[in-house]
Amino acid sequence: MDATERDLLAETLRKTTTAASGQALDAALTDLGWAELLAEQPDIAVPLTFRLLGETGAHAPLLNDVLLSAAGRPVGATLPLPYTGGTWIVWERADAAAGTALDAELPLRSVPAGPPVPLAAGRVALGWWLLGTGRAMLALARQHAVDRVQFGHPLASFQAVRHRLAETLVALDGAEATLVAASDDLGALLAKAAAGRAALTAARHCQQVLGGIGFTAEHDLHRHVRRAVVLDGLLGSARELTREAGALLRAGGSAPRLVHL
Amino acid sequence: MNATSAPGYLNVTDFRSDLRAWLDEHDLSPGPDHSLDAQVAQLARVRRALYDANWMRYGWPAEVRGLGGPAVLRAVLGEEVATRELAEPGIYSMIEVLAPTMISYAPPALAAEMVPRLLSGREQWCQGFSEPGSGSDLASLTTRAVPRGDHWEISGQKVWTSLAQFAARCVLLTRTAPGHDGITAFFVDMDTPGITVRPLRTMHGVDEFAEVFFDDVIVPADRMLGRPGDGWRLAMDLLPHERSTCFWHRIAHLYKRLDHLLAETSIPDDAELGAAYLALHTVRCRSHATQRRLAAGERLGAETSVDKVLLATAEQQLLETVRDLLPGVLELTDSLWRSEYLYAKAATIYGGTAEIQRNIIARRLLDLGRE
Repeated sequence: MDATERDLLAETLRKTTTAASGQALDAALTDLGWAELLAEQPDIAVPLTFRLLGETGAHAPLLNDVLLSAAGRPVGATLPLPYTGGTWIVWERADAAAGTALDAELPLRSVPAGPPVPLAAGRVALGWWLLGTGRAMLALARQHAVDRVQFGHPLASFQAVRHRLAETLVALDGAEATLVAASDDLGALLAKAAAGRAALTAARHCQQVLGGIGFTAEHDLHRHVRRAVVLDGLLGSARELTREAGALLRAGGSAPRLVHL
Repeated sequence: MNATSAPGYLNVTDFRSDLRAWLDEHDLSPGPDHSLDAQVAQLARVRRALYDANWMRYGWPAEVRGLGGPAVLRAVLGEEVATRELAEPGIYSMIEVLAPTMISYAPPALAAEMVPRLLSGREQWCQGFSEPGSGSDLASLTTRAVPRGDHWEISGQKVWTSLAQFAARCVLLTRTAPGHDGITAFFVDMDTPGITVRPLRTMHGVDEFAEVFFDDVIVPADRMLGRPGDGWRLAMDLLPHERSTCFWHRIAHLYKRLDHLLAETSIPDDAELGAAYLALHTVRCRSHATQRRLAAGERLGAETSVDKVLLATAEQQLLETVRDLLPGVLELTDSLWRSEYLYAKAATIYGGTAEIQRNIIARRLLDLGRE
C-alpha cells in the first residue's frame, strides 16, 4: 500500500467511524473489507482503525477480531478477554441496551475465566485506541483553554494550564513512540502500559483544565474519560503491566534493550 | 586498520558487530580512580584509541578527516562506549555538539585542522554559552565582542562551562549588537591572555563546571564562526545534535545503571522497578524515532523538547528508584550511586529547564499562543 492509498484508506475510515458506532460501525467496516485488511495488512489496519476509534469517540467490537486473527481463527465472533484483577469479560458484537460497565456505551459482559488469548496483538490495538482517546481529550482541553477567558486573559495564557497540557502531550507522544516500536511480547506489554498511563494522565490534566464544564454530561470529555478507564483495565491495566515488567526484569537480571538503531 | 584500508559502513549492523569484536580485543576499561582528572584522562585515552582504530572517524565527513557513512554510526559508537562504561557519557558526548558546530560554521580550513584534534582526544574543548545573568534565557547574554581592526576584543563572563579548566578551545557566544541578531560566535584559544577559569564545585562533588572570565581578550577576526549575528542560528542548529545522538548515549548509560541496580538490590519491588524501566523504554523509543527522522534528513525542532522532558523525567525516576531499592547506600557510603543520584537532580535544569521545555511545547507544539 503506497502513501496515497493509505491516505485514502485513512480518510474513508475516518468518515466511517465518525458516522457510525457500535453494531452499525461493525457492519460498515465489514462492508469496507475490514476482515481482509486485518488479515493482509494488520500493521496498517490496527493502528489506523483503533486510533480513529479513540479520536472520534466511536466504538466497535474489533478487539475480538484482532485476537481471533492473531490466533489464526475466523473473525466476526467473540471470545473471553482477560480483564484487570483476574476477571474476564466478553465484548458483545450486538449493542447493549445499557451496559453495566463504567462506560455504558460498551457492550461488555462479565464471564468466568476463558482460555489464553494472544495478548500482544490485542495490547497493541488497545494501546492505539487509548492513544487516540488521549489525543481527543487533549484537543478538547486545548480548544477550551484557547477560547475561555478568565481574569481578563485566555486560560491558555496561564503557565499552570499550559504546563498541564504540555505534560499531556509529552505522555501521549512518548506512548506513541512505544506503540510504533512494539514488535514483541514485552514491547506490546510496555506499549499498552505507556498508552494506558498516557490516557489516564490526559484524563486527569484535561479534566482539570476544562474545569466545571468538563465535569458535566453535556460536554464530551466524560465519555473519553470513562472509555480510557475501561480500556486501561482490558488485557492488563497499566499498573499490572508495569509490575509484570518489573518482575520480568528481576527474573532476567538485566533490562532488555528492545529497540536498536 | 589504517585510513586507506578502512571499510565503508552503510549499515549499522556490520559496524556494530565489527566494533564489538574490536572492543572485545582492546580493553579500554577505566582504572579505579573516579576523580574528574582521571575521567578526563580516560576520555582522552578512549578517544585516541578509537580514533587511531578509525571507529571515531565514521559518521563524520571527509572534510574533517572523517570516513563518512551515516551519522547514526556515532550513536552506535557512543552506545557501546556507555554500555561498556569506558567513559563518562556526559563528557564523551560533548563532541556531538562541538564538532558539528565547527563543521557548519568554521572556515573549512580551520574545521579541517581542529576537529580531528577533538575527535582524537588530543584536545578537550568547551562550549561558552551560559552566563550568570541569562541561564535558560540564552538570548539575554551580555559577554561583549567589539571589532578592533583585524581582531575582536571580548569581555564578560560565562558560567556552567563544562570542562573549561581542561579545554584548549572554546566555542563562544558573544554580544555584538542588540537582540537575537546581535549574537556572534567565536572559536577562542583558551590560553589567550585575559581568560581566567575558576572551577565550580557542584553538589555531586565534581568540578565539572567552571566560571570563565574574559577580560579584554583579543581574538583574530578569522576565528569568527559564521558571520556577525549568526550566533543565535548557530545555537538553534545545535538542537538536533544536543537532543538526538547525545540522548541516545545517555539513555544507554541509564540502562546500564538499571542493570547495576538489578544486580545489587534485594528488594522485590516490581512496581517501582517496572515503572523506572517503562520510563527508560519510553524515552529510548522516542529517541529512536528522532534518530530515524534525523537519518531521513528531516530538520529537528521544538518537538525534541518532548525527548528532553521524557529523558529528564526518566533519569530522575530511575535514581529515586535506586535510593528506594538500595536503602541507605547512597546516603551512607561514598559510592558512584551517590554522585549519580545527585547529578540527576540537574537533569531538569541543564540544557533549558523543564519549565522552559514545557513553555516551548505549549507555544510551538500546542499552539497555545503567548503567555
